[in-house]
Amino acid sequence: MADNSKFYFAKSHEWISLDSNNVYNLGISDFAQSELGDVVYVQLPEIGKQYKKDEKIGEIESVKSVSEIYAPADLTIKGVNSKLNETPELINNEPLGEGFIAKIELNNPSDLSSLMDKDSYESFVKSNHE
Amino acid sequence: MNDKNANNNENEDKKTPLYDKHRNLGAKIVSFAGFSMPLYYKSIIDEHLNVRNNSGLFDISHMGEIIVKGKDAGIFLDYVLTADISSIFPNTITYSLVLNENGGVIDDLTIYKFSNESYMIVANAANTEKDFAWIHTQMLNLQKTKTDNGQYMFQNVTVENYSDKIGLLSVQGPKSRNIIYPLVEDISDNYGRSENNFCNIFNFQYNIKSLKELAHFEFSCVKFKEIEIEAVISRSGYTGEFGFEIFIDADNVGTLWDYILEHKELSNLLPVGLGARDTLRFEAALPLYGHELDETITPYDAGLEKYLSKNKDFIGKEALEKIKNKEKKLIFFKLAGKQIPRHLQRILDENLKPIGCVASGTYSPLNKMPIGSAYISDSNVTPSMLKNFYIDIRGNFEKAEVVMPPFHKIKK
Repeated sequence: MADNSKFYFAKSHEWISLDSNNVYNLGISDFAQSELGDVVYVQLPEIGKQYKKDEKIGEIESVKSVSEIYAPADLTIKGVNSKLNETPELINNEPLGEGFIAKIELNNPSDLSSLMDKDSYESFVKSNHE
Repeated sequence: MNDKNANNNENEDKKTPLYDKHRNLGAKIVSFAGFSMPLYYKSIIDEHLNVRNNSGLFDISHMGEIIVKGKDAGIFLDYVLTADISSIFPNTITYSLVLNENGGVIDDLTIYKFSNESYMIVANAANTEKDFAWIHTQMLNLQKTKTDNGQYMFQNVTVENYSDKIGLLSVQGPKSRNIIYPLVEDISDNYGRSENNFCNIFNFQYNIKSLKELAHFEFSCVKFKEIEIEAVISRSGYTGEFGFEIFIDADNVGTLWDYILEHKELSNLLPVGLGARDTLRFEAALPLYGHELDETITPYDAGLEKYLSKNKDFIGKEALEKIKNKEKKLIFFKLAGKQIPRHLQRILDENLKPIGCVASGTYSPLNKMPIGSAYISDSNVTPSMLKNFYIDIRGNFEKAEVVMPPFHKIKK
């Protein structure tokens, strides 16, 4: 059973974490935001839309580059963090908190097991990017 | 997440002497012009605004320095470069282009004149090898060519690439003088000519102004106190702000970098990476080779005709004289939306017909909006008449508006 202090990470650097009931927050990792630099625009996903795992759900634009946000599992968008429209820098300042991107429901809750916990993700980043 | 612009050829890249210092400061390192360079230390936006409000320190040692000397150096550079070179005052700088025979821009440069027989060309890092090869080849060809009266000219010229031997730091921003003045002592004409000192490379021959007397695009030879390092220091930069560029022996760059950072509180100085260097230069509407300039763009297209001397012949002049109309027109624009225009994205007119391409696009930290420049290649379009037009940003047509640069002087 998932608890809401726990973060589950994808290799493409998104995370999800239980918010309430069956709704999860989705965001990008601290490593991902530090690689992007100052975020100036976030194209948020569409509320109500279903996405397959690895499908593009949005875009994050920093001063120097554009990155795509991918669905870490099959999911449905239940809400978006509209604060990012005015203050996209929340992604830099609080990537695992106020800088979340969307609220989602997992279509298959068992997909959680295919994601990494914090420790595995950190060693994944270390081995791939240093 | 997937960073489309990731560029990790760090292993094959050259490093400036400061590479380890950048890493220790936590810089995000990227590959630029064949060098591993800091893109930013903490934040492009914070670094940018600190240069506009206080001051910033840049490592630009990747840039090229080509030294041209000899009795014929001046007339040689007059022929190879577009601006008047030999006739400028000693201890001043001029901006110039170097063109190919078709009038295309090989590079844009600044030229430091030390004397009638000694000049330094400062080149874009990505173009230094190309520039050096071009200028050196022109020298060899000219030296083999007999003039109409049977003489050989340009016999007394040497062209030498000093890029690996000279380091270059830049301190930019309205408060730059607060940190540079206290750290520097004038050595005017008493620099160590007899010793093996840095300024000897350049053969200064005329009175050197004291640092505080320097006007924009003038330079001097100075010594940094305590660390006893000689430097050529110019009032120049690439940010649209008051600032200095400091040339020193490559072996001393690390010592000078640390010395300036130790005194950073004098001007609230921050180290600044190439990311902010680009946003700063673009707000100031300064051209960047590879964006506003390349070998397919003429100086007329880029609006740089004032750097084409009417007083002399130079390579590319004949081809340019045949060009009647501009082939492309450079415009500057801002966007109402939030997506950032990027190099080579399409410009569409009100009927969504493509009329040109983005040259530079970025986010303006000062104006907090996306801004850009574009070449309009449709000859029927008059930029000042351009009312409703769009940038095709990955399939989103974002409305744009023509503005008069520079962006950092726009009154809100």
